[in-house]
Amino acid sequence: MAEAGRKIMQLDFSYLVKTFWLCVKAIPVTLEITIVSLLLAVIPALVIALCRIHHIKVLEQFGRIFVSFIRGTPMVLQILIVYSVMPSLLNSFVKKVGLSVNVFDLNPIIYAFIVFGLNSAATLSEVFRSAISAVPKGQVEAALCAGLTPFQTFRRIVLPQATVSALPNLCSITVILIKNTSLAFMMTVREITAVAKIEAAYGYNYVESYIDIFIIYIFVCLTVELIFKKIERRVVFAGVRRAKAI
Amino acid sequence: MLKLSDVHKSFGKVEVLKGISLNVEKGCVTAIIGPSGAGKTTLLRCMNFLEKADSGEMEFDDENLDLKKVSKKTVLSIRRKTAFVFQNYNLFSNKTALENVMEGLVIARKIPKAQSKDIAMKALEKVGLKDRADFYPVSLSGGQQQRVGIARAIAVNPDVILFDEPTSALDPELTGEVLSVIRTLADEGTTMVIVTHEMSFAREIADHVVFMEGGVIVEEGTANQIFTSPKEERTRKFLASIIKK
Amino acid sequence: MNRPFSPVQIWNSFLKIIPYAGVTFGVVFGTIILGTALAILLFIQKKSEKRFVRVLAEGYINVIRCTPSIVLLFIVYYGIPKIALGLFAIDLNFSSKITYVIISLALIYSATLSEIIRSAYLALGKAQYEAAISIGLTPFQAVWRIMLPQGLVYALPNLGNSLISLFKEGSLAFTIGLIDMMGAGNLIISRNYGAYSLETYLALAVIYWVLTLIIEQIFLRLEKHYGRGREENHAA
Repeated sequence: MAEAGRKIMQLDFSYLVKTFWLCVKAIPVTLEITIVSLLLAVIPALVIALCRIHHIKVLEQFGRIFVSFIRGTPMVLQILIVYSVMPSLLNSFVKKVGLSVNVFDLNPIIYAFIVFGLNSAATLSEVFRSAISAVPKGQVEAALCAGLTPFQTFRRIVLPQATVSALPNLCSITVILIKNTSLAFMMTVREITAVAKIEAAYGYNYVESYIDIFIIYIFVCLTVELIFKKIERRVVFAGVRRAKAI
Repeated sequence: MLKLSDVHKSFGKVEVLKGISLNVEKGCVTAIIGPSGAGKTTLLRCMNFLEKADSGEMEFDDENLDLKKVSKKTVLSIRRKTAFVFQNYNLFSNKTALENVMEGLVIARKIPKAQSKDIAMKALEKVGLKDRADFYPVSLSGGQQQRVGIARAIAVNPDVILFDEPTSALDPELTGEVLSVIRTLADEGTTMVIVTHEMSFAREIADHVVFMEGGVIVEEGTANQIFTSPKEERTRKFLASIIKK
Repeated sequence: MNRPFSPVQIWNSFLKIIPYAGVTFGVVFGTIILGTALAILLFIQKKSEKRFVRVLAEGYINVIRCTPSIVLLFIVYYGIPKIALGLFAIDLNFSSKITYVIISLALIYSATLSEIIRSAYLALGKAQYEAAISIGLTPFQAVWRIMLPQGLVYALPNLGNSLISLFKEGSLAFTIGLIDMMGAGNLIISRNYGAYSLETYLALAVIYWVLTLIIEQIFLRLEKHYGRGREENHAA
């Protein structure tokens, strides 16, 4: 196969392998961005979703506009905006508060957390909103009639059911997030794509590097999907299956 | 025990309840009958504040309430003294039959778990579903689900049970099992208000029958009075149309 | 580099960027054409009797679903000239960047679109097609006159979303040097030595945001128009 590759595309096979393992080392960074961003986003997303469902005046509008902006603009642009604004913003904040932190020495992954966290808050809020609304209103009424408070109803009846129905969407959001992190190299974060670009620039072996990360991303995403499928299977409560999405 | 005076309710521009006054005596079974859209379900839902009436008064347990300005505390306390059985059962799909019945006891009334389980099992036994206690709603038939719904209602020992067309969503073969449970409750002297289309059943168990049409109470009286010798023309027309079916 | 924020610059940048809207739209248009052709091919292959073909088609869709668009873009951009050189001895010499953008976007779009077609087809049901051919329509007529109009209604919301996605994914083209709206914005920034970058990015953001809102509105109207008579009347 190396022969064929060399013949067709003049691929340097040894280089392919070498870069592959270098890029694999960057997988933890990609995962770190993904996981931290999702965790940061959960509570804001829940707040936004609830404000929109219960029509809480100002917050509902703010939430709607925020979600619309995030979903209406390319990820790349969000990254560029945050990266051009955040350092100076943080700088002035730090100066005001009086900390002796050099903002420009900060690990750029912080900016990744910020922009991907904001992005995830928007996308997650939509998932939460539809999952919570999908719980039949009748059950909420029954719970209130039985004497439960709205909070108890939410925690014991709505949330469990909403979580189960949200799982497939959560899986797809996570995979999309992982793919989006491939743009973090623009903020000098050394995730998978960044490493590939750096290596490619050294030896002018662009195709090999990108084929390497192409394979790596497939592997990472498929693994994540597998994990979610396992979770989905376990969380199905005795006989209740989520309606099969067409 | 429960008295409604001059209740009005509109949805948007449509006035659905045009001044309803109703008296529910303790130990009585009140059946509300009438054509679709008459406002029967809305009236029932106003009684436990699933809908908020626009105006009117309610006397519950010797306490007078202005339906326009009921506080959340009052609503909660009335809900703890009443029970509602839904047309679509509305069982909690993420809980077993037993847990469904226990929910109101453990969480809302803070009764200890062991005691609640006891009460719940007795309620399930009463509706004939003791052996289905650990089943989830999805594994139960419509009739069984509705009986769990009734068990959920009787377990909390309410002052009055409100039934919203309890058999309308059921296949004909399954209505019998639900009706027999309701019949047992009636024989035991439970105060009930039942909105129903099952005329013969209403005639059999109701102490008091109310005929509603177009948002007003057209006629009310004992089962005999309404079904055998109705006074109003509209009542006669309605009953005739039912019998034809 | 810390020049104060200047809203006027947003408008200036906006004016300089808009002329390049044609390139952005051209990319999307080309992708739709190529992507639709590929998607139809994919859809048909997925239903093929030969297991090998089915697995191949499914594998393709799964792979595309797990690939970041920028990675695919780079592979296409750097890889195709190499293949052309090695296999056909043609020196493409990085000609016409827009072609590479369209190819890579079409590869991604075709996967999404074939799934949309598939779900609309499943929702519609084979019965419609069978009824059509039993009254004598040719397979092509059956698809064109019966399946397509009805299937479109099911697919509309997803089509709207995928169109919006296409515009957003297309925004990465500037990374290989294409001068579309994003590319123009980048040029402005580099010509100003990095000053007023925020203002330019904001101008771009507004352009994309408004574009998205317009597309959403158009599709909402379309859904309402074609969905008439399909929604059950809700009893009061």
